[in-house]
Amino acid sequence: MQLHGRRCTVDAPGVAGDYATQLLTDLGAAVTRHCSALATPAADAASASAFAALSGPADGPPVRVPLPLPALADGVLAALQALAPEAALADLDGDTLLSERAVLAGLRRNGAIAPGGHCRLLAAADGHIALSLARDDDWHLLPAWLEQDCVAPGDWAALAACVQAYPANRLIEQGRLLGLALAADQACPSMPVPWLRVHAQAPATARPLPARKTPLVVDLSSLWAGPLCSRLLQRLGARVIKLESLGRPDGARAGHAAFFDRLHAGKQSVALDFATTTGRAQLRALLAEADIIIEASRPRALRQLGIDAEAIIAGPRRPTWIALSGHGRSELQEHWIAYGDDAGVAAGLTSLLHRQCGQHLFVGDAIGDPMTGLHAALAAWASWRSGGGRLIALSLVEVLQHLIQQAAGAQAPIAARKRGCSSVDSGIGARELGTDTAAVLAEFGLR
Amino acid sequence: MASLKAGSKFRSAVCDAQVMVIKAPAGEHTLLCGGVAMLTGTETAAAGAAADPAQLGGTLIGKRYVNADESLELLCTKGGQGGMVFDGAALEIKQAKQLPSSD
Repeated sequence: MQLHGRRCTVDAPGVAGDYATQLLTDLGAAVTRHCSALATPAADAASASAFAALSGPADGPPVRVPLPLPALADGVLAALQALAPEAALADLDGDTLLSERAVLAGLRRNGAIAPGGHCRLLAAADGHIALSLARDDDWHLLPAWLEQDCVAPGDWAALAACVQAYPANRLIEQGRLLGLALAADQACPSMPVPWLRVHAQAPATARPLPARKTPLVVDLSSLWAGPLCSRLLQRLGARVIKLESLGRPDGARAGHAAFFDRLHAGKQSVALDFATTTGRAQLRALLAEADIIIEASRPRALRQLGIDAEAIIAGPRRPTWIALSGHGRSELQEHWIAYGDDAGVAAGLTSLLHRQCGQHLFVGDAIGDPMTGLHAALAAWASWRSGGGRLIALSLVEVLQHLIQQAAGAQAPIAARKRGCSSVDSGIGARELGTDTAAVLAEFGLR
Repeated sequence: MASLKAGSKFRSAVCDAQVMVIKAPAGEHTLLCGGVAMLTGTETAAAGAAADPAQLGGTLIGKRYVNADESLELLCTKGGQGGMVFDGAALEIKQAKQLPSSD
């Protein structure tokens, strides 16, 4: 796609090395394999895996997921390392990145209820669906969803009883119109699904600005996937500005504090008032300064703010625009939303597990988020290193489907490495909302 | 006059706008878009129905619209040029929902 025959060396064993090689080949790199470590024996990896403990019923042992997700996450890290040999990533490992929210917040496997508690598998008349109700306010949409007022806010048992009367298709269709995050429990398609899509490429500019030695990342995203992407870019040497709306900041500031700190330590915080002309102008000016932009909004939301991704990537900095979504950016799917847990169900992970164990269960904790954050970091860095000027879209569902498809067939031992939590950023918290607004605006002459 | 039930859909008779009812007060009410009564179910626009040029404030996809006491809430599922009026009062955009604290 974009690395134009650049040579790089992948140093990882087993599944991780195979996957890293495949991702880099997808990006156009010429890959050499090298192995300085032997694969961890599968039994050790499984018993030490925090991720493996996250799938299964609450009152029974964990259920083995027939897909080596931690090792595949290690593969993305190995691909990042291959593109940035100078970066110190050795303390990161896939198992920890996929399970760190659960470990920090004390979340546990809970069968057909996702560890975070906001997403559940529900039996419809003709199949199962996953429904995320992440905000109290989402419950007020349910009378419109079901066209009857049968559920008091918070009453999952009444909701489960009510949903049984409806065909899944009817629930999905009406739910999507309402902006609910929901998905049918279905198998992964057999047609190959790409992990990223390059939606636009800016034409070559006559006089692009000289490239910075390390990229400036402006991160508009919230929750987990996007912030993880920028955290990984930070580890590769990027400067990261977390840019939030004053009126609608990242909701995760009100979530688990240690997890928010983990994702945001060392990032600058700029908060602007998107409701004012000045705030929107400052937003556009900062985006124009960026080398990498990360966002996870529906395209219409940015259009309504007067932001045009295609125009921005053609600017003098030729930024790489990473657009994260639930289901993709095509005309129909751009309106659907997904969170990490329902995305796993939509991608086919629950169906995969059901075929193995006969139970309807979630796989991991909001698995679509960390997996997409990892892949997005690789796409962003690869695009930055090769001149930028691209709008690259990744969706939670497609990244997971791509993973399922890679590993179908390859039943290699689960060779995840395990290095424990990153110690590098421990002890440093996230900054308060807007801490750096004045300094950053002054730096770029935007007062 | 129409009765608005949660989950029911209305479409403009004079532009592309479509909405879904999130909540509504009981009883019969008038709901206009572009100055003309919105349609539901199999209703079709009357011959010669035309938008009132003074009622073209626009309706934006994804936005929620409410009346003054928020007893009515509509979600726009398809944008259009007409503005909406409920029982004689123009509907306003409701502030976007706060982002969730976790998923």
